[in-house]
Parts: sequence; structure tokens; C-alpha cells
Amino acid sequence: MNESLKKKIESDFKTSVEILEKNRWTTTVKKDQVLDVLRFLRNKGFDHLALISCVDWIKEGEFELIYILSSYLAGKERLHLILKTRISRKKPEFETIIPIFENAEPYEREIHELFGINFNGHPRLEHLLLDRDYEIPPFRKDFDTRKYVKETFESIKPVEEEK
Amino acid sequence: MTERELEMYFGPQHMGMVGNFSITLNVEGDRILKAKANPGYLHRGFEKLMELRTWIQNFPLVCRVNVIEPHSMEMVYAMAVEKLAGIKVPSRAEYIRTLTLELSRLASHLFGCWAYANMLGFDTIAQWAMYHRDLVLDLFEDLTGGRVYPIYIWPGGVRRDLPDGFKEKALNTLHEIGGKIPDYDATFFNNRLFYNRAKGIGRISRKEAKNLGGTGQVLRGTGVKFDIRKVDPYSAYDKVDFEIPTREDGDAYSRIWVIRDEMIQSVHIVMQCLEKMPSGKVYNRVPNPFKWKIPKGETYVRVESSRGELGLYMISNGGDKPYRVHFRTPSYPHGLTILEKMLVGESVADVGNIMMSLYVVAPEIDR
Repeated sequence: MNESLKKKIESDFKTSVEILEKNRWTTTVKKDQVLDVLRFLRNKGFDHLALISCVDWIKEGEFELIYILSSYLAGKERLHLILKTRISRKKPEFETIIPIFENAEPYEREIHELFGINFNGHPRLEHLLLDRDYEIPPFRKDFDTRKYVKETFESIKPVEEEK
Repeated sequence: MTERELEMYFGPQHMGMVGNFSITLNVEGDRILKAKANPGYLHRGFEKLMELRTWIQNFPLVCRVNVIEPHSMEMVYAMAVEKLAGIKVPSRAEYIRTLTLELSRLASHLFGCWAYANMLGFDTIAQWAMYHRDLVLDLFEDLTGGRVYPIYIWPGGVRRDLPDGFKEKALNTLHEIGGKIPDYDATFFNNRLFYNRAKGIGRISRKEAKNLGGTGQVLRGTGVKFDIRKVDPYSAYDKVDFEIPTREDGDAYSRIWVIRDEMIQSVHIVMQCLEKMPSGKVYNRVPNPFKWKIPKGETYVRVESSRGELGLYMISNGGDKPYRVHFRTPSYPHGLTILEKMLVGESVADVGNIMMSLYVVAPEIDR
């Protein structure tokens, strides 16, 4: 069963499915295929979107979006599929997947906020965890944490000095 | 906004709110028309901080992500590091890990009962639950030296072996907690007052729970037998015998009963671990932590925390620090998507009730 599914993914989407270990698959697809692949996988029983994550590959100038899928169906719960796609760092834009997985909403909001990626068609790309915009979104690799701490907290004078 | 509609802030300074979290409600009279969850009061940026620290330095950070149940966070991080570095764990350590994870589930559920009972005004039961949780924390103190943040589960095993007399002390504690269950049942779980407050509140269907990414009690309260300890066993869970409690109705009352039954299962698992534990060493040596580099790779691991599926996606690019860490915490879908959906049409008086029954813990959402 699993073997035939693997072959079907490989032939339909012209990609290769790599096996990290038993029951953990990973595959990279082109960005315009993602919605089709997700729709296909959802119909094949991958009905649980566990996580959407993002990685900043600054040296390659790309963001990588990661969709981790598994299943609620009895007997299939062990299998995980890590679906990855890359988008350009210069034009951080992607399509929302809310029409396929409803629970993608907060994950995409978080990635928008922390990595500055725009999700077209997302109904509410507003702040989730932070309270303001940053020049460089804080989870990008070029965001200097130490500099931020220095500027934000060391500029506040101790109470004694103010007197 | 119509003339009769009112915007109302619920939390973070509100009696019915647990922890640092707030909800903006649009109400008409007593009915909720729209709810908006506002997380972020506890956003400490752990995932970013972890990118700047070495593999071992991250341990004191990772347990602080979920204040109420730090053991699962350590477990999931240790599992990811072990997978990436290819470290094996001795069999005795697996049993000790299972034991601490179950004790921590028990402590976390008791804490949940404290919060729920307290919020509904059952002060006596709240005091009992807090007292019993404290007894479990005493066991942690004996075992690890820390009551709340143990930093005990380690890549390659656990930090140290069980101390002398631990088994007897643990059994005493478990008997004391187990012996109190009839009292808890009579005064809280089967109490007519509690039943009337919780029955039919915060209802979610099985289909909806699956669509919105529910796990843990939210899903099991709708009758789905989904528990990662069974479906994707880790540690020593495939060697102990236990049941997955479920309820059918999908409301607050079902969820709290799943939690109650899980406590009993946890007690059984801990007793089995104490009985079956083999002798031997409790950790395999890891390389010098100051020079430890982990080969390139990525992994997704998951455990069943007391609230549902807790996952960790981690990437190493061959360095001495992780390249990217991302936690999939169970409260994230529960406290944002599901809560916002569930509150619509309920009354303002039940907001705290519903939040407690969803078992949301704010630090886990914010990270």
C-alpha cells in the first residue's frame, strides 16, 4: 500500500520521495505544485496537517516552507510526510492553503509575522505573537538578536540614574 | 457592529482566565457573536534563541517552553537530537523516561483539575488537587533535584539513576492519590453541580476536531482512539499495558472525564515501569558537549504530551548548534482555531469553562 502510494507521488508530480527512516518520508516539489500535491495527499488519507514551518536558507537566498502531514485513519497514523518547497527570498510570496487545511490559518499568520512571507488569499494576516512590525522580521537569519537587545533594553535608564 | 453589540476584553487580568492569554469578545447581551484569541503575552522567542546555543545549552531553555509539563518538552528535544546524532538509549533509561513522563502527566492533569475546580468555585477539590500535585513534585525533587524544571532527560538517557528508596516513596504517593479517587468522583466529576455546568458546553464534532487539527483530549473526547503513545510508540510505551480512554459527546464534560481516566492509566503505567524496570546503565556517553557537532539532517519527532500531539521539527546543518527548531504544540490549534470557533454562540459566563476544558496553556502557544 505505502509502496504504491510512494510510486504514485513520484510519477504524478515528477519528484522523488526520500525515506528518512521507517515511516518518515520527505519530498521537495516546485512551488506551483504544492496545492495540487496537498489536495492529492489529503484525498489519499493524509488528513492531519501537524505543522507548517519555515526555514531561512540565507546563503542560497531562499525560504523553505515545510508542511508536515500525517493521518488520523486507523492503521495509517504512523506515516509522516514532510513536504517541502522553496520560494525566493527577494519575493517572499506564496499561496494560502486554508481551502485545503482549515487549521493552516494561525501557522501562516505566524510565518507572515516572523519571516515576512505574504500568503495570498489569507483572510487575516494580522499580528499574532508580536505587537509591532520590525524592519527585518525577527526570525530571519539576518536579524541581529544581540543588537536588538542592546538597542531595546540598554537604552532604558535604571531608576537611580533618572533621579 | 450593530447598536446592541459590545466589544469586551476577557483576560489577561480576569478571574476566569488561565495564564497570560486574552480573548476579545463581541457580545450581544450574554451571547458571543465573535471571538478573537490574542496570544503573545509570553512570546520569548525560544526557537530563535535555540539557534544561538549549542545542543546541550538548549536543555535549560527547552523545558521552559511549557511551564506545566516540562518533561515532554525535554523528551521531544532529546529524541530529535538522538535521531540526528544516531545515539542509542539504554533500556533502563527508556523505562525511567516513561516513568517521569507519566508522573509529569499526572502532575499536569492534577494542575488542570486545580485550575478547573478553582474557576468553577469548587475550592476544596482545587486544594486537594494542588496538594496531590505537590506530592508528585516531591518525587521529582528526589529524582532530579528540581521540582518544576528538572533538566533530567538527556540525549543518550537520563541524567542519573533512581535514588535509594525511590520505589517505595513513589508507590506510597501513588496509593495516596489513587485512594482519593472516590472522593474526587463524589465531589467533583460526578457532582450534579459540575455536571450541569459542563455538560453540553463547548461542543465539537468529530469531523470538526479532525479538520481543525485537534489532538489529545479534544479529539479523544469525541470518541477517536488517537494517542501517539499507542499509534507511534516511543520510549518504553510499547512494553507497558494501558488503555486509551475516550468519551463520545465532544463537550467539556467529556474532555474532563478523559482527563480523569488518563490519570488512572498514568498511575498504572508508573507502577508497571517500577515493576518491570531492568537493571543496567542509565545513559550512553555523548561526545564532549563543547565540541559536539551533529551531522547534517532534518527530523520530525512527536510525543503525546498531557495535552495532545507535541512535535518538534529540527534541522542541523552540521554545526554545533541547531539551524532551525520549530515546536508543534498541542495548545496551538486548540487555543487559537478551535477556541475561536467554539466560543461563538456560547454565553460569556462559560468562556472560562470552555478554555479550561480545552486545557489551553498559554506559554506553549507563544513559545
